[in-house]
Amino acid sequence: MEAFINGATCISHHNTVDETFFFEGCSPFAPSPFLKVAPFEHKNYIPSAMSRRASHILKMGITAGMMTLERAGIKSPDAIVVGTGMGCFEDTDKFLRALVDNEEQLLTPTSFIQSTHNSVAGQIALLTKCQGHNFTYVHQNNSFESALLDALMLLKEGEAQQVLVGGIDELNAPLQELFERAGHIKAAEDLKELLWESTSKGSVAGEGAAFFNLSKKRNANSLAKIRGVKTIQKTNSGEELLEMALEFLSELAIKKSEIDLVLSGRSGDVEKDLKLKEFESRLNIPLAYFKPLCGEYFTSGAFALWLGTSIIKKQLVPGCIPSDQTKPNSLRNILIVNHHSDELYSLICVSAC
Amino acid sequence: MLNRIHITGMGIISAIGNSVEETFQSLNACKTGIGKIHHLKTRHRDDFLVGEIPFSNVQLAEMAESQVFDRTTLLGLIAAQQALINARIGDMKEARTGFISSTTVAGMPHSELLYKDFFENRYQGNFIDSHFSGVSTNVIASHLGIEDHVTTISTACSSAANAIMLGARLIRNGILDRVLVGGVDALSLFTLNGFNTLLILDKEWCKPFDDQRKGLNLGEGAAYLMLESEKMVKSSSKKSLALLTGYSNTNDAFHQTASSPEGQGACLAMQKALKIASLEPSQIDYINAHGTGTPNNDSSEGIAMQTVFGSKVPAFSSTKAYTGHTLAAAASIEAVISILSLQHNTIFPCLNREHQMTDLTICPVDTLQNDVALQHVMSNSFGFGGNCSSLIFSKN
Repeated sequence: MEAFINGATCISHHNTVDETFFFEGCSPFAPSPFLKVAPFEHKNYIPSAMSRRASHILKMGITAGMMTLERAGIKSPDAIVVGTGMGCFEDTDKFLRALVDNEEQLLTPTSFIQSTHNSVAGQIALLTKCQGHNFTYVHQNNSFESALLDALMLLKEGEAQQVLVGGIDELNAPLQELFERAGHIKAAEDLKELLWESTSKGSVAGEGAAFFNLSKKRNANSLAKIRGVKTIQKTNSGEELLEMALEFLSELAIKKSEIDLVLSGRSGDVEKDLKLKEFESRLNIPLAYFKPLCGEYFTSGAFALWLGTSIIKKQLVPGCIPSDQTKPNSLRNILIVNHHSDELYSLICVSAC
Repeated sequence: MLNRIHITGMGIISAIGNSVEETFQSLNACKTGIGKIHHLKTRHRDDFLVGEIPFSNVQLAEMAESQVFDRTTLLGLIAAQQALINARIGDMKEARTGFISSTTVAGMPHSELLYKDFFENRYQGNFIDSHFSGVSTNVIASHLGIEDHVTTISTACSSAANAIMLGARLIRNGILDRVLVGGVDALSLFTLNGFNTLLILDKEWCKPFDDQRKGLNLGEGAAYLMLESEKMVKSSSKKSLALLTGYSNTNDAFHQTASSPEGQGACLAMQKALKIASLEPSQIDYINAHGTGTPNNDSSEGIAMQTVFGSKVPAFSSTKAYTGHTLAAAASIEAVISILSLQHNTIFPCLNREHQMTDLTICPVDTLQNDVALQHVMSNSFGFGGNCSSLIFSKN
């Protein structure tokens, strides 16, 4: 199951919405343990009446989704598939706080309606009048990967010719407090270490939206080709993860030696990254780490796919992320390996087209 | 020709019973499970009727043989375990076995009790790691030993239909040999109050397809089906309970919470499901409707059925007045009910209905019908975000 990426948009901590920007002058060190997205313009995509009520995730998701369709030259896709690990937490928090503070009285429906996990996919369907398949996956850090698998199946089945697929998660004050007090966030003094060399626990939290327009047909806009995706529910060791990755590549008829670069989802947590480190050391392929650019969040895999696609398109690895390993000879095939808190792993392979 | 998808096991827990057998007994006796609130701690205790499962979390944990405290996960575990036993599956490694669950509330019934205390620093524990939707799926998968493709869908009230549909597609695409599919939602303050702000909760028993219907009764529950490929069933000479022959998901693209008056998305979903099943509309013998009892849904769905089936709309009814609207579990609970209809050649009637809807020419089944020849049954589920799904179950 392969597909061409004929349009992509990424809203992230850096100004990745601008296709001419590619992390020039960026530092791999996080300025704070919470990487919020850079400001982005949404007024061309979100009707002003809606904009007043729309939460951050809706603005990010609709903007990234609509901009992707515009870049792909598509008015209305045949299907919309979205992954989100945490859904619409800003509205969930708003409704829940009002509920507990006012003891179940004086509540209004807007935040309840918008708290529904499939709000982003539903709103994009409304705006594009897309009556096709509309799924939202909410499976932790395999939400986007599940959406991607669905999108590839839709194209294979002939159910859709153009599929809009994206991954999206938002960060906000209540989530920051929840994560921090649960012990998931790095202390400020630990940010002085490079994330991939970290000796401390916790990670740098992030947020973002990355959307892709997928098609079986290659065209002048084609950026790269997705070769396949695999979700891994459980792995016991880095060695087992490597076996799974090699099996995945062999199913795609790609030799290990053909992989030019591995984009690794090391989170910077010295304990949780152990299996991934073991995997990397056995793999012996040039590596780059994407989480210093986007932070840790459930759908960071969508950011990684956008990054891999851009690296292939621009034939350039951003200067701020590769570790001091051998430089890749060419940039035709990229393997993305991701995890979150050592729970659920995933593999995505993307190639030049 | 698409590979046939067999249902080889079912598990269910809802207000009308904690097994397939109990569910059938309640339906066959036209007995509702909807009543006063006992376990959910809400100030609306006396304001609304709900389809609550008559067990505390402690009792559910004993039944599930689990240490989990989260009601959503417990209900899911109970139904999932039943389905595996029913399908006579013990070893997850003997074939590629997946698990597709769906939920809208996930850990909310637990989180909402701690939220205020957490932010006011009276509670220092961690509930966020068990809050998000995938967690209950992962706990159930791990308890059952399922390690192949596992995922969670959340498309509001159509969620479980989409989980069932995805399972069938994963088998047909050669990714899995068999897959446990369905959904779960526990009652929560969040959803009870949310639906209350939308003014679509009936304070009395809900009356699906009644002209004077006022809204829905919320419910809770879980149901899972074991789907297996033709090859799996043949090689094990296992009994197939029914076939999943049709499925479809479309979007109404009309409004975030309301259905279009003419039910465009619903029409498309029913038509596409028929196409996947290679069936003519006239071959559908019964429709288990979404039929929530809200003025908007029943009118829109009724008109859509009239559009798709013309002058020959099949017998139809809604079973929401038995179980309440169980949100992400509704479609899998109704899938089990649809299969019970097929197995027993029985149509379970609408309850509480008195007045013919003025905007429809059709009338649902109001009395229990035994000995009806049922070959193909359609089940509809619609949700927020314009999400519309139809499934078709057929006799093997």
